[in-house]
Amino acid sequence: MAEPAPSQPTQTFHHAARAFWRRFRRNRGAVAGLAILAVIALVALGADVLRPGDPFRLAGAPFAPPFGEFLFGTDSLGRDVAAGMMHGARTSLLIGLVATLAALLLGTLIGGVAGYYGGWLDDVLMRITEIFQTIPFFIFAILLIAILRPSIGSIVFAIALVSWPGVARLVRGEFLSLRSREYVQACVIMGMPEARIIFLQILPNALSPIIVTGSLMVATAILTESALAFLGLSDPNVMSWGFQIGSGRTHLRTAWWVCTFPGLVIMVTALGINLVGEGLNDALNPRLRDR
Amino acid sequence: MQTKPFMARWLSGCAMAALALGLAASAHAQKRGGTLVMLVQPEPPTLASYASTAAPIGQVTAKIFDGLAEYDFNLKPVPSLAESWTIAPDGKTITFKLRRDVKFHDGKPFTSADVRFSVLEVLAKVHPRGPGTFREVKAIDTPDPHTAIFRLENPAPYLMMALSGYESPMLPQHVYGAGDIKAHPNANRPVGTGPFKFVDWQKGQFVRLDRNPDYWKKDRPYLDRIVARFVSDSATRTASIERGEAQSAGMAAIYYSDVRRLEKLPAIEVTTRGYEMSSPVVELIFNTKVKPFDDVRVRQAVSHAIDRQWIIDNVWFGFGKPATGPINSNYAASGIYTNAVKRYQVPNGVEIANRLLDEAGYKRGANGVRFEIVHDITPYGEEWRRLGEYVQQALDKVGIKATLRYEDVPAWLRRVYTAYDFQLSSNWLQNLADPVIGVHRAFHSKSIRAGTVFVNASRWSDPKADELMDRASLENDPAKRAALYHELQKIVVEAAPNVWTHELLFSTVHARRVKNIATSPLGVFSSYDQVWLDN
Repeated sequence: MAEPAPSQPTQTFHHAARAFWRRFRRNRGAVAGLAILAVIALVALGADVLRPGDPFRLAGAPFAPPFGEFLFGTDSLGRDVAAGMMHGARTSLLIGLVATLAALLLGTLIGGVAGYYGGWLDDVLMRITEIFQTIPFFIFAILLIAILRPSIGSIVFAIALVSWPGVARLVRGEFLSLRSREYVQACVIMGMPEARIIFLQILPNALSPIIVTGSLMVATAILTESALAFLGLSDPNVMSWGFQIGSGRTHLRTAWWVCTFPGLVIMVTALGINLVGEGLNDALNPRLRDR
Repeated sequence: MQTKPFMARWLSGCAMAALALGLAASAHAQKRGGTLVMLVQPEPPTLASYASTAAPIGQVTAKIFDGLAEYDFNLKPVPSLAESWTIAPDGKTITFKLRRDVKFHDGKPFTSADVRFSVLEVLAKVHPRGPGTFREVKAIDTPDPHTAIFRLENPAPYLMMALSGYESPMLPQHVYGAGDIKAHPNANRPVGTGPFKFVDWQKGQFVRLDRNPDYWKKDRPYLDRIVARFVSDSATRTASIERGEAQSAGMAAIYYSDVRRLEKLPAIEVTTRGYEMSSPVVELIFNTKVKPFDDVRVRQAVSHAIDRQWIIDNVWFGFGKPATGPINSNYAASGIYTNAVKRYQVPNGVEIANRLLDEAGYKRGANGVRFEIVHDITPYGEEWRRLGEYVQQALDKVGIKATLRYEDVPAWLRRVYTAYDFQLSSNWLQNLADPVIGVHRAFHSKSIRAGTVFVNASRWSDPKADELMDRASLENDPAKRAALYHELQKIVVEAAPNVWTHELLFSTVHARRVKNIATSPLGVFSSYDQVWLDN
């Protein structure tokens, strides 16, 4: 195959990106969501500059009220709540992204293989998927972490392991419908290797729904991590929003600020991600745009 | 009282207690019936109180098992399954006369054979503290079903302090005699003689105990049922006490800051009575067999770096008192406690700690870190996690980078007390009724027993300390005994196998309508046969 001129695909890509952005921009909520996420990501990246040092540091007097010496006050050990939120943003975003990526990979692989090959392989893979789907996902995550001992790795693993079945079912459906299309049939007749058909022909055409699902999964993953940390199942060495709420909830009546501010930021983040997901859906599935 | 010979002391104690009990029974019209819901935190890992002394176990099993004796608030033994006893003048023979009207929950009678079995076959072998308590007992003669004669190698003054149903439960030989006692089918379906019978254990939820209608104390217990509820969330526990869904919570089931709030409510009462036989001391435990804590200077440095008052104020909300060593200052009355030991809580503690670490050869690296350790935090609840987080910060100040590890209770117990696969952990040592029972287990070379929980996990030992403890166990003269303990405290505190942070002050939070909840120095570890509910 001859190499195409380098400028050609770049231009088409630019064109597609512009069209995508135009469609995305049309959804005002999505733009607002993107702005929220951008701010949170910036704060997470700048945590070491804004609040240098260990967020677990005993920074001042315990239970200092907010908007005084400390922006959001201190907790029962005198730790700066704002510092914890900034450093916790990293944990939450990191866990959300990594766990979602892992779940997408696993789900796409299993769903893709099941959808493309069908037959007994499909049956086996889908029964396995259903086994995972019948276990309440949060209980399953708690169980996994209790067995593996709470650490960043085990939390990511547990969240990924409970999130992939939905992706697998979605991808399988897409593959089932796409594999009977003419262009796929043509590839088969041309003798294209199966891996090429799966990854280069079908997958790109199934990407839109995967991306949309994935973006919403990030929010679920962040919420799951927070819920686990709230129950005490967090990496004890890593600051996270859920940990802050979990350790502050005992004192909710006497020191409301310890869990209120991290709680608000979790809410805002989840909202932002959902808005962006909505916008992605509009931009990537233009046919559904005017529904 | 300390000048009287042994036998006379015990006998007069018995007589007075019997009189007091008689008076109490006629003084008040207690109401019968009702269910007491008590919160126990965390859920016990097992109900085999003869093989494990984890705090939640005894809160449940003390209602099911009786012991040979109970204790009054002067820490004097009073009759229970044994209606009387005599101690020979040489202290080497103790004759227990057993009650004749006692039946186990399965209807079979309680006899001296059960005493012999419980003490020699079970407690002396598998109980964490039993081998210490009963080490001098070389035989138990049972001339008739209602007489048990303990033959001792040497006098054992502490033995009489360890006969409660919590510490030394009397088990039916016909049930526990068959099969492996360490993995017995009845471990979680206990059968005893106590005021309440085991009915059901819904794991993760509750243990239900029903009134034993054939209890040997006439008209006792007053309650129809006790339900021990396990609620893992601290705020939910507080709310359930506040709303009256649960009527009592002992030990640390209610978080300390919440106790401070609940004690102001009209329907709720808070008492610190009932922990007199507990005398707990919170400690950090070093593994003295592995680096870097094999070096006494490193251990002392850590001890200097910890601010005890800060922990009491901010983690335990004032429920505590700085500790000077392993022995609780409750023992000041008997002369055993001394604070004339090496003092670690000093204003320039951090400075001393840094110097000691330098001397030990652990210089700060380029990043300011001397060495890294893993700190296994105690999985007992929120305050323990906060303690771990505080320790991490305190060590950071002297250049020790601690990583926290958090596991569930069985995994943590296995790590610290069986595998010794740890560097630093924390726990609390109950001094109990006598140092021989409560304190020796943490420091004696014979208490380094893998697989037995709450004994010498630091694996520190010292021939001189062993000798002092051995002599104190046999010493009948209180002044001499106190002197031995003073010397022991000096040696142990200097060697610092633990950091003793503070003496815990526990409290029992209960609905005001629950009466008689603290009628014994064993508090929540007592049988509750006198507890009753008003209206």
